[in-house]
Amino acid sequence: MRILLSWLEDFVEIKESPRELADALTMAGMAVDAVESEAGETVFEFDITSNRPDAMNHLGMAREVAAIYRRPLRAPSTACAESGPPAASKASVEIQAPDACVRYVGRVFTEVEVRPSPDWMRRRLELCGIRSINNLADLTNYVLLEIGQPTHAFDLDRLAGAAIVVRRARNGEKLVTLDGEDRDLTGGHLAICDAERPVALAGVMGGQATEITAETRNVLLEAAWFRPSVIRNAARRFKLFTEASHRFERGADWNAAPQAADRIAALLARTGPGQVLPGQVDCFPQQPGLSPIRLERADIRRHLGIQLDDAEVEGILSALGFEPSSDSSGWSVPAVSHRLDVERGIDLVEEVARIHGFANIPATLPSLGAAPELTPLAAEDARMRAAVRGLGYDETIGFAFISSDEAERFGSGDPVSLRNPLSQLWDVMRNSAVPTMVRALEWNLRRNQPFVRLAEFGRVYRRSEASYEEPSVLTLGASGTARQASWAEPAREVGFYDVKADVAALLAPFVPDAPSIVTKGVPSYYRKKHAAGLTSEGDVLAWFGELDPELARERKIRQPVWVAEIFLDKVYGRGLRRPTHRKLARVPAVSRDFSLLVPDAVDFASITEAVGEMPDLDGVEPVEVFRGKNVPEGSYSLLLRAWWQRLDESLTDEEVNEFAAEVRSRLQSRLGIATRT
Amino acid sequence: MSIEHKTGRPIDELIREGEDPELLYEELRAAFEQERSKASTPQQGQALRDRWLGRRSGLLSATNDHWLKAAPRELKPVVGKLQNLLRRDLEAAVKAVAEAAVQEQAQAEPDLDATLPGPERARGAVHPVRLALEEVLDIFRPLGYTVAEGPEIETFFYNFEALNFPPDHPAVDEMDTLFLKDGALLRTHTSPCQIRIMESKSPPLRYVVHGKVYRNDTPDATHSPMFHQLEMFAVDEGITFGDLKGTLEHFVRCFFGPRTQARFRPSFFPFTEPSAEVDITCPFCSDGKCRICKQTGFIEVLGCGMIDPNVLRNAGLDPQRYQGFAAGFGLDRFAMLKYSIDDILLMYQGDARFLRQFR
Ligand SMILES: [Zn+2]
Repeated sequence: MRILLSWLEDFVEIKESPRELADALTMAGMAVDAVESEAGETVFEFDITSNRPDAMNHLGMAREVAAIYRRPLRAPSTACAESGPPAASKASVEIQAPDACVRYVGRVFTEVEVRPSPDWMRRRLELCGIRSINNLADLTNYVLLEIGQPTHAFDLDRLAGAAIVVRRARNGEKLVTLDGEDRDLTGGHLAICDAERPVALAGVMGGQATEITAETRNVLLEAAWFRPSVIRNAARRFKLFTEASHRFERGADWNAAPQAADRIAALLARTGPGQVLPGQVDCFPQQPGLSPIRLERADIRRHLGIQLDDAEVEGILSALGFEPSSDSSGWSVPAVSHRLDVERGIDLVEEVARIHGFANIPATLPSLGAAPELTPLAAEDARMRAAVRGLGYDETIGFAFISSDEAERFGSGDPVSLRNPLSQLWDVMRNSAVPTMVRALEWNLRRNQPFVRLAEFGRVYRRSEASYEEPSVLTLGASGTARQASWAEPAREVGFYDVKADVAALLAPFVPDAPSIVTKGVPSYYRKKHAAGLTSEGDVLAWFGELDPELARERKIRQPVWVAEIFLDKVYGRGLRRPTHRKLARVPAVSRDFSLLVPDAVDFASITEAVGEMPDLDGVEPVEVFRGKNVPEGSYSLLLRAWWQRLDESLTDEEVNEFAAEVRSRLQSRLGIATRT
Repeated sequence: MSIEHKTGRPIDELIREGEDPELLYEELRAAFEQERSKASTPQQGQALRDRWLGRRSGLLSATNDHWLKAAPRELKPVVGKLQNLLRRDLEAAVKAVAEAAVQEQAQAEPDLDATLPGPERARGAVHPVRLALEEVLDIFRPLGYTVAEGPEIETFFYNFEALNFPPDHPAVDEMDTLFLKDGALLRTHTSPCQIRIMESKSPPLRYVVHGKVYRNDTPDATHSPMFHQLEMFAVDEGITFGDLKGTLEHFVRCFFGPRTQARFRPSFFPFTEPSAEVDITCPFCSDGKCRICKQTGFIEVLGCGMIDPNVLRNAGLDPQRYQGFAAGFGLDRFAMLKYSIDDILLMYQGDARFLRQFR
């Protein structure tokens, strides 16, 4: 919104420099975006919040200036010489929809002549960004900028019956608006009609049939007040956003309507040619009720933390156009039609605060009040994030939208669909975070990144009964080399066991014993037999493995891609394991190696299970797994190492040999595997 | 074992016969010197040491007792003394050989190139939005604030109605809000959490709420349909606008630097009254002449205000008894300001080259 300094000065005295004035207005809530100097005029560019339609004009802005500096406000002159028969004898106004149109003021001008406006008016309009059209159109625009009241000029001779009827349109009625568009009206639309047909879309745009032309001699001027929601719906319905609809839908002032009509009359009388018929045709069936507002003195301190003098409070409110009357506990303040946004005591507190100046309210700190509440799962989350970082995964965040096709392939159940999605690729909320991760991996592989490790902490979305669930998932993605390539070490491709180790490391602080591995029930977007899950007490805590190569190929990924999903709700729900110190042994552990030829069908877990429990047995580990040369097909060679340890004393060779013999015998008897020596 | 004299007879015999021990020891010394002169590598130095001074089988140790026993009574002290002298000298000599050898070998090795990089260790990046979030939380936690997140799929009531939005507010429109097919919606801000927390807890409340929010915006360098918001609020008896100012002034100084000043400008939000926008003095220039502050010296960073009594009432609190303040901002924007990121979409592509800058 552009405001001219010289125009403000018509209504209030200004002693400050433009920069000082701009700062003062900004700090009172009228944000000045720019101060420009154009053709010798100072122009302010304002960004006015939607709750302040009253300030979207020069008089309203001058009222703000008057309040800030406590200077008198001068109203624009409406004095005007009237002549001829009364206006009411030449035109009639009737409101048939008083719920939508509260007031309609008509003014009649005769013997007008359409011609260019005087230079001073054209100049002001143009500095405000409005193109000059002719003296009548310019007058309405000028007063809109001056007072904020939208008005409309009809060619009175083209109004059937010289009548204005404000009513709901009838189904099937049509109107050609000023922009040349045919508009089909229905019963919901508020129309300005003459005795026969709609002639304007109320509060939005006039019609072609009754517009001012070069031949116009007699004019009916409309200054009305429409209910904001009616105008907003119409503007939206017709996608027609005009200066008029902009003001009306934010709320105009019904008392500004007669003022604007008189101001136009006065200006017309001054700039001519034209005759102003005496009186207004003012249809105002019922003045809307305005409740008195209660402002308690104590509430000012309660909300702002400071106490203001009565004189200052009253000075501010009066300057803003309120009429406060004080009593023992505060003020009674009638609501005013130019500030419909002010309805409650708190609204008046805000008015007082902003004119007093937020900068003049001292900064304090609230007391703690009570012992702060601990944030649930904060420790769990911090530990997990630190661990993910430590493993070298770069944290990423992806969009939570995926396509319904992806939802079907990566998730289960009815997906959460958007009614107005941004695109068909983003039409559902993700029910799995894997597609998001695959997109990120794809992005990096397309950019030839040789080493990619990504981790995303995020949610997935699904229905649950009548509502929704948004469980948290940690998704890992890995591709390329196992470590960032270096001259000092040969590169190796990342593989299943790298990802497994990472997942196990991340779960370790939450799961006291090693979680069990499952290979059944792995989702189908993982490559068969190259993926697994980790479970604990029946809960799947994680899935991990290679992405199905078919899915990868569809996304133009031509190298193995590894993914893991860690279900954080389930993991965090277990809580962080509290570490407990166990006494350290004073003597080193003793080991024995076993060379085994194992059938493929027997996995490592079966071997440790077969070895089982044994006193002083400290652990069993695979030292070497080998297939191929010299190993018969259908089996693999395993070098197994077992460790024994006793807390306080050394084990003798004889003891350990006995233990080793027991291991051999268990492997033989339980799995039929002979140890080779 | 014993050492033979050059005549081929064992030395202990010669000692027993009264041969001059000094001469005999001189000869021994000469024999050692000859072997020593040939030792140049650390391995040879070690071998020399083992042969002469080895604890059990070294020549000197092995013969020690023999010679002393063999010596005639009157010569015993002399033999003992000579023996100690010899041992001392031999030990010094062997040590010198070893040191010389190590030094020589070190000189032969090329210097390592300390400027070559060590192989890179794993260290993951923190996403810039998370980085900014952690910084913010580190400021509010010590002030007694609890952290919460809340659901992203919200109801119309929590997202708009309870927050005092009029039913025909433009934000309610499909042009701004993403709706689900059943009428639920993706929260457009973190404020619904205010209501949820006020409904379920009693004051005093000090909360920081953060998380993803959604708008029906076509992606470009400054718009993303999904971004992150953070909101802090406090509800208690006796909370004032002054408290809001003090809290936020402290916050922007901590986050943007100790010289940062906050300016509170009256503004408008449906859920606060009075409402303010906070501008900070530009942390990137001192003269108000940079691109980031658009030559104004100020940057608008957050919106705030006293929680509107209607909102307190909608959440079941008595506005006659309690007041509260709230402030909210975009974490993406904070991260972009602080880490000089010029395109919001970089945040959501997962480009490792971008992310690794935040390790
Ligand atoms: Zn700057």
